[in-house]
Amino acid sequence: MKQAGVFRHAAVRLLGLIPTLLVLITIAFFLIRIAPGGPFDAEKVLPPEIRANLDANYHLDEPLLQQYFRYLGQIVTGDFGPSFQYKDWTVNELIARGFPVSATIGGLAMALAFVLGTLIGTFAALKQNSVIDYSVMGVAMLGISIPNFVVAPLLILGTAVYAGWLPAGGWDWSWQRMVLPVVTLALPVVAYIARLTRGSMIEVLHSNYIRTARAKGLPERQVIRRHAFKPAILPVISYMGPATAALITGSVVIERIYSIPGLGSYFVQGALNRDYTLVLGVVIFYGIVIVVLNFIVDLLYAWLNPRIRYDEAQ
Amino acid sequence: MFARSCSVLCCVMALSACGDGQNDFGRPQGKRAQPVQLVLLEDGRPAPEVLAEEQVVYRGNGEEPETLDPHLAQGVPATRILRDLFEGLTAESAAGDLVPGAALRWNISRDARTYTFYLRRDLVWSNGDPLRADDFVYGLQRAIDPETNSSAARTLLPILNAREVLAGELPVEELGISLLDEFTMQITLTGPTPYFLGLLASPVAFPVHKGNVEALGDQFSKPGNLISNGAFVLTEWTPRVSIVLEKNPRYRQAETTLIERVVYTPTEDRAAEVKQFRSGALDWTNEVPNNQFKWLQANYPDELVTSPWMGSYFLGFNLTQEPFIDNPSLRMALILSVDRQIITEKVTQFGEKPSFALVPPGIDGYVPFSPEYADWAQEERDHEARRLYEQAGYSEENPLRVEIRYNTSDNNKKIALAVASMWKQALGVNATLVNEEFRVFLQNREQKLVTQVFSAGWISDYNDPYSFLEMFRTGHGRNDYGYSNETFDALLDEVGTERVRARRERLMFEAERVLMSDHVIIPIFTYVTKRLVNPHLKGWQNNVMDHHPTQTMFKLKSSEMSSAEKNP
Amino acid sequence: MPLLSISNLEVEFETAEGVVKAVNGMTFDVFEGETLAIVGESGAGKSQLVLSFMGLLAENGSVSGEAKFRGEDLLQMKPRELNRIRGRHIAMIFQDPMTSLNPFLSIEKQMTEVVRHHQGLSREEARAHAVEMLRAVRIPDPEERIKQYPHEYSGGMRQRVMIAIGLLCAPELLIADEPSTALDVTVQAQITELVGELRKKTKMALVLITHDLAAVAEISDRIIVMYAGEAVETGTVDEIFYSPQHPYTRGLIASVPRLDRISDDELQAIPGNPPNLLELPIGCNFRDRCSEATEQCLERPPVWRATSGRTSRCFQGIEGGEIVNE
Repeated sequence: MKQAGVFRHAAVRLLGLIPTLLVLITIAFFLIRIAPGGPFDAEKVLPPEIRANLDANYHLDEPLLQQYFRYLGQIVTGDFGPSFQYKDWTVNELIARGFPVSATIGGLAMALAFVLGTLIGTFAALKQNSVIDYSVMGVAMLGISIPNFVVAPLLILGTAVYAGWLPAGGWDWSWQRMVLPVVTLALPVVAYIARLTRGSMIEVLHSNYIRTARAKGLPERQVIRRHAFKPAILPVISYMGPATAALITGSVVIERIYSIPGLGSYFVQGALNRDYTLVLGVVIFYGIVIVVLNFIVDLLYAWLNPRIRYDEAQ
Repeated sequence: MFARSCSVLCCVMALSACGDGQNDFGRPQGKRAQPVQLVLLEDGRPAPEVLAEEQVVYRGNGEEPETLDPHLAQGVPATRILRDLFEGLTAESAAGDLVPGAALRWNISRDARTYTFYLRRDLVWSNGDPLRADDFVYGLQRAIDPETNSSAARTLLPILNAREVLAGELPVEELGISLLDEFTMQITLTGPTPYFLGLLASPVAFPVHKGNVEALGDQFSKPGNLISNGAFVLTEWTPRVSIVLEKNPRYRQAETTLIERVVYTPTEDRAAEVKQFRSGALDWTNEVPNNQFKWLQANYPDELVTSPWMGSYFLGFNLTQEPFIDNPSLRMALILSVDRQIITEKVTQFGEKPSFALVPPGIDGYVPFSPEYADWAQEERDHEARRLYEQAGYSEENPLRVEIRYNTSDNNKKIALAVASMWKQALGVNATLVNEEFRVFLQNREQKLVTQVFSAGWISDYNDPYSFLEMFRTGHGRNDYGYSNETFDALLDEVGTERVRARRERLMFEAERVLMSDHVIIPIFTYVTKRLVNPHLKGWQNNVMDHHPTQTMFKLKSSEMSSAEKNP
Repeated sequence: MPLLSISNLEVEFETAEGVVKAVNGMTFDVFEGETLAIVGESGAGKSQLVLSFMGLLAENGSVSGEAKFRGEDLLQMKPRELNRIRGRHIAMIFQDPMTSLNPFLSIEKQMTEVVRHHQGLSREEARAHAVEMLRAVRIPDPEERIKQYPHEYSGGMRQRVMIAIGLLCAPELLIADEPSTALDVTVQAQITELVGELRKKTKMALVLITHDLAAVAEISDRIIVMYAGEAVETGTVDEIFYSPQHPYTRGLIASVPRLDRISDDELQAIPGNPPNLLELPIGCNFRDRCSEATEQCLERPPVWRATSGRTSRCFQGIEGGEIVNE
């Protein structure tokens, strides 16, 4: 019964995705076309013969609406087409190479942020209004307010340039190259999760059922872990949907500073170069990722919160 | 629970703490080893005993290359790699001089329109197939064939019928390229083109392996597929991570090529690139950030290299709109009142040369035009500027209001700010700054509707002043100034047909003089290249084209003495 | 020896407005097997009194005095020692069953964790025991319902679960803090009845905290009447009901609806409100609301004790009693 509810829910959500994506594609398609300049506009102007030839080969000489329907017909088959800028690669190839990198960095950063953030937040909540609480949360505030384009170069200077412990950048799937980007990406999220956790943990600790748990003579550790933790992280779970989407779709700043071949830079480069196919491909892919993630978070939320599970089954 | 939180923290610290000073990530700062003294053999090659054991070069390369198809590539990052992978009929030495490449020698007809090339007889592709003249013919035909979709083909327009073929009016066989025999080919041009031999050393004129291209289509330039004829072959390409080349044992000069492996790393972020260099991960950077120049000069004097480049930075006037239409006095006043010395010494600070004309010095022996005011003191210029300003009808009570438009970049902004304040100070001009995203900026320049003064610059594709002058021709696609002068156009026409080098240079000089006397641009400075180079890396030389083939490079081993000094 | 011996217990809270004295020198004993009711209006400090020796005060609360359980002072115990007593020897039921169960954990988990922790039972043993206990509090179909979550239970059912949890380790003392207040009137009676019945069966002592004097009449042995943090009168049920000595007790009894009263006119609530604990009045705390107050009441009233052991904190005294403090 509950299982069926979940599946039906999933099916409805996934169907609901189609019009959303269509709107997204349409807006993205026309928006990038409205932007001045095209993929072949450069400082060194092309002779008209070459320009006409290129436009014809890429169908840029057709009416815009015709191009739009041509594009829709193409992506229905799962083909995002060739990149205008990176001529040796298709957009599918670029996404297939970029996304795993972004997803790994972002996923690890999220995992790290979740573990550290909830622990720090819980710790601060338990020591509420003590020196420890204030110093931990003060550091967390710094984590939120210092932008990562400041943190990252400092980390590189410290660990790579002066100490030589870690590489200064680049990518080869080794853990050494993941450490700095993951840490940089995680820091503000750690801080934010810590604040969320602290707030909700304090609220939960004042609730009657925690008093009941304590009256049962359970050790404090068990009271926190079994009784307080789950309800306290619910706000964190809600936050994690969009936050994870933001992390795993790739941070342009992190990718540039650490020279990481993630998806974020493709999006920006694509937009700057008017690489229509690349921009659209990445936008649509982002759209799918975000919807899927929010769906997963919904499931997770329901799994953690029995009351919601109950409502679903009704 | 808290025990666990602690263990996670410890874990993170352990992750960052493992490894000591000796590691895979290069040499930490402060322990920089010095190379041994270079010793050359009689034939000019380095003595084997001074060479480092590992001959691998790590080169920062700017943006990700857009393609490794030589006929499609246009950007500097891609063409730089392609020059390592392929060899044209002609080639360039470390100093940038033109030398024979695949062609051992060539003849140029009396009318300077027909070139006959005689190829070396022992050439092979990297897969062992013989390399013959028809490979070059096929290469040029493919580059110009409209099917290929090449933007780079624009540089091949001097070839007879190239324009018609590109427009689809003639079949590719009608190009002025003919195969005389297995080792001989002929190229006919529309007119004398002194830089044509230089063009043949660029990727768009490189040969490609016909069988490979026809079999693999657009996949032929991928690692494992690409067959090349240069000093190196492509072994790995991970987009935005690295492109790895290895020495081509079948290259005609493989015996004297010392570098075994070249790793090109895209470096989109200049500050990050410098950090990678400092951590030892790069031997050669693509650039250095302007704001670190002073620091690098103090801390990396041996590594920091600057050299003149064949590019100019200037501001352009839109001559089709107010206030500059038919107002040479005002334009001249603005040109005069810019203190180039201050801009290069205080603003850009990279040893750029203050400039008073369009063409940078050092291009193929050409000496640029120099206007009279170049020798004046700035005070004199300002004085004359004020006179012209008032003559144009402006004054303190009625100041000129003008926009300086530039595409978003720190450097453009700094220069625009400096220029605005110089105008303000000398003339009382109220200049406002407008920055725009690159393609928006380009479109505005082209439309000539909203632009007044705009930042411009030109870095030449080939070693010829014509490349700079050409865009001021009436109706040229990049003539965003709206400049049109029959005398100038006629001079350029003459340049196109003149085959005597000295006469041609005089014509170009005269054209530049006409252009500068019409006050179309505000020359600011000529570019320099600036980068960090590992002092162990030798065998390269500064040149105005900034072409540095890896083929001639080699790495010295570290000096024992310097390490003894470190630990007395 | 009494099971629980409270003496001179004081509870204070630091608040932004100042120090609030919630409990002011309570002294009493609870003997094995007896039922003691602590009665008073809300705010009289009865809940804080029991929370204090259970170690469940809010962070801003502090407690002093003595609370000896079998001779050991609960107030001096470290959390770990206290946890050996709480849940196992002293169990507690709270007044709001809707929020006192953890909504995120199944009933099974919330029950079994107690016996698994205190008695080291295996999962299966703990579960069987928990089902038994649910049956004892008359939850129908306990094998199935134990898998459910609190939101699937009604209020009365939840309170039964709370009681079952309290009884899991067969404690010597059960403290029930207004166990039926938040429930329907019909359910209230059932719950009170159930508690009394279970007490008889298990021979444990019961401390029943309530504002409703009538509700505890049936099941209590002794009663403590609290007002503004102090015990104003103590005695057996009969003593309190048939010869209340303190004007406040009399007021409470007068406000209880009874079958032997002729009309509702005689049913009267005590006028006024309990005093502000931040600024207690001079003299008797009840003076402002007391219809029998005199000049004398501006002094602090003495505690009278009769030979039967009953006490009253009032100048009126107890016939045949004596003043035990000043």
